Amino acid sequence: MSAFSVKNVNQIFGSGTAKVHVLHDVNFEAESGTLSLIMGPSGSGKTTFLTIIGGLLTPTSGTVTVNGIDYNQRSKKQRDALRLEAIGFVLQAYHLLPYLTVADQFTLVDKVKPKGNLTKAELNQVLETLGIRSLLHKYPSELSSGQQQRVAIARALYPNPAIILADEPTAALDGPRVKVVGSLLKSLATDHHKAVVVVTHDSRLIEFTDHLYEMQEAY
Amino acid sequence: MFLALKEIKKEKFRSGLIIAMIVLISYLIFILTSLALGMARENTDAINSWGVAKITLSSNANVDMRQSFLTQKQAGTLSKNEAYLGETPVVAEAKGHQQQSAFFVGLKSTQFIAKKIKLESGHRVRHSHEVVVDDALKLKGYQLGDSFKLNDDKTKFTIVGFTKRAKLNVTPVIYGQLGTWRALRGIKMGPVTSVVASKTNQYQSHQDGTKTYTRQQIINKLPGYQAQILTFVLMIGFLMVISMIIIAVFLYILTLQKLPNYAVLRAQGIPSKVLVGATISQSFLLVASGLIIGTVLTAVTGLVIPAQVPMAFNIPLLAVVGLVILVMALIGSLIPVKTVLNVDPVSVMGGE
Ligand SMILES: Nc1ncnc2c1ncn2[C@@H]1O[C@H](COP(=O)(O)OP(=O)(O)O)[C@@H](O)[C@H]1O
Ligand SMILES: [Mg+2]
Repeated sequence: MSAFSVKNVNQIFGSGTAKVHVLHDVNFEAESGTLSLIMGPSGSGKTTFLTIIGGLLTPTSGTVTVNGIDYNQRSKKQRDALRLEAIGFVLQAYHLLPYLTVADQFTLVDKVKPKGNLTKAELNQVLETLGIRSLLHKYPSELSSGQQQRVAIARALYPNPAIILADEPTAALDGPRVKVVGSLLKSLATDHHKAVVVVTHDSRLIEFTDHLYEMQEAY
Repeated sequence: MFLALKEIKKEKFRSGLIIAMIVLISYLIFILTSLALGMARENTDAINSWGVAKITLSSNANVDMRQSFLTQKQAGTLSKNEAYLGETPVVAEAKGHQQQSAFFVGLKSTQFIAKKIKLESGHRVRHSHEVVVDDALKLKGYQLGDSFKLNDDKTKFTIVGFTKRAKLNVTPVIYGQLGTWRALRGIKMGPVTSVVASKTNQYQSHQDGTKTYTRQQIINKLPGYQAQILTFVLMIGFLMVISMIIIAVFLYILTLQKLPNYAVLRAQGIPSKVLVGATISQSFLLVASGLIIGTVLTAVTGLVIPAQVPMAFNIPLLAVVGLVILVMALIGSLIPVKTVLNVDPVSVMGGE
């Protein structure tokens, strides 16, 4: 069973002259243990695609199945629960809560989902890898955008989700950091058997991918 | 609670402003409530101290004890549960003192009302020119044994006792004998008393020209009493609504600023109820802190306020008022809560 199965998905925004047909009959599968990279220029629909497979947006047509169950068969609450338990979202805009220190961002997850999160040692390992362990007591406003992006990645990994969806996870990172994040995502797929889907226009990530997809610009 | 506490801790200045606002409003509400209660008591303390349930007046007295005159026949026969009470406005005058308006209340020492009067000092009235007076006169410089003239009466009256909180319609009461009431009124024949008051709710007069009222009916007809109460209730009510609006507006603004953050949390599967809980507990924490400080200020005010200011601090009443403010604030937080419930995670997916 594949982690994700996307069948004939179309997404149309607006109507009349403002109509944008973003996704055309998209079919896509992602297995656990693999890293899929979806590349495409800005405006090609990458974020829209990720929003749909994350269950936040119901496509105009087509079906999306996660862990064998169609989103249409899940209630709003069940979709929330799925994202909380099983999907690690790394968003393009991190919007970390400004009044929580880095450490508190993880505490918040503990409050909402007390079980199944990374252990302290595992979390420290992730923070170490991402080079943000010394920032635990800082507020987001005290961090550079690259640091914020890495905190957002750690935040998404903390609930130990089986699926990781990342939108431009390296946009704010320099070369060496891109390699760090690339290999971290790769090892989550290979060593921890997670299904990792990354959408990006950053070709520096190509070397870490198992499957590479390309998205054409919307027409 | 976690999110609310963290936010208040980080945003000390903003939270401080909101708390300061709540402090001022709750302090104002507490003080107004205490004033309202104090004023109400100065209107009714005496009448409430008599232990009466029903009062019979002349039917044409407009429910005003001062305007009532009952003949022996109208008063009827009294059981041990009933008592005569003659009331008349007087002016007390003595050398070295300003003129003092008061109500003279004449009682029969054998009947229950006279026995019910609690003395703070001195002894009960034994002669026609002895009086027991409200301790407001003490604040005006009178002491036990001092004497004053009442209206045109030739003989001076001597203060033989003080009693606490004997005010009627915000005017001190001077207790004396029923016969003295007749003398002050200049009555030779006819009326024997202003009213007949009874301890029991069953009491009812059936004599011609009389009407029996409950104590509350009499109180409600005290000149100015209801207008006063209404004024205070309106002010307090408005302030409560204002506190609700302030909380609603402030929290709404704070919430608007957090919407992108909340949208991300929703995208990450954090249930709406966590965010709603954060909003409501934030409102609760801010208002509760404001109320606590407001209470401390009120207590301090109560300690330093001069005795002449008619303020009564009634803790159960203030607790209820505080609770209402809290409830209003929680209602106020429903507007931002609605916004939180409508947060759309898709709105932040695109970035920037
Ligand atoms: N909610 C929306 N309403 C209308 N148009 C949208 C909406 N979201 C995205 N689009 C349009 O869809 C296209 C793809 O957007 P997006 O998925 O964000 O692309 P990418 O992430 O690849 O840059 C863009 O032309 C964008 O303007
Ligand atoms: Mg995008």
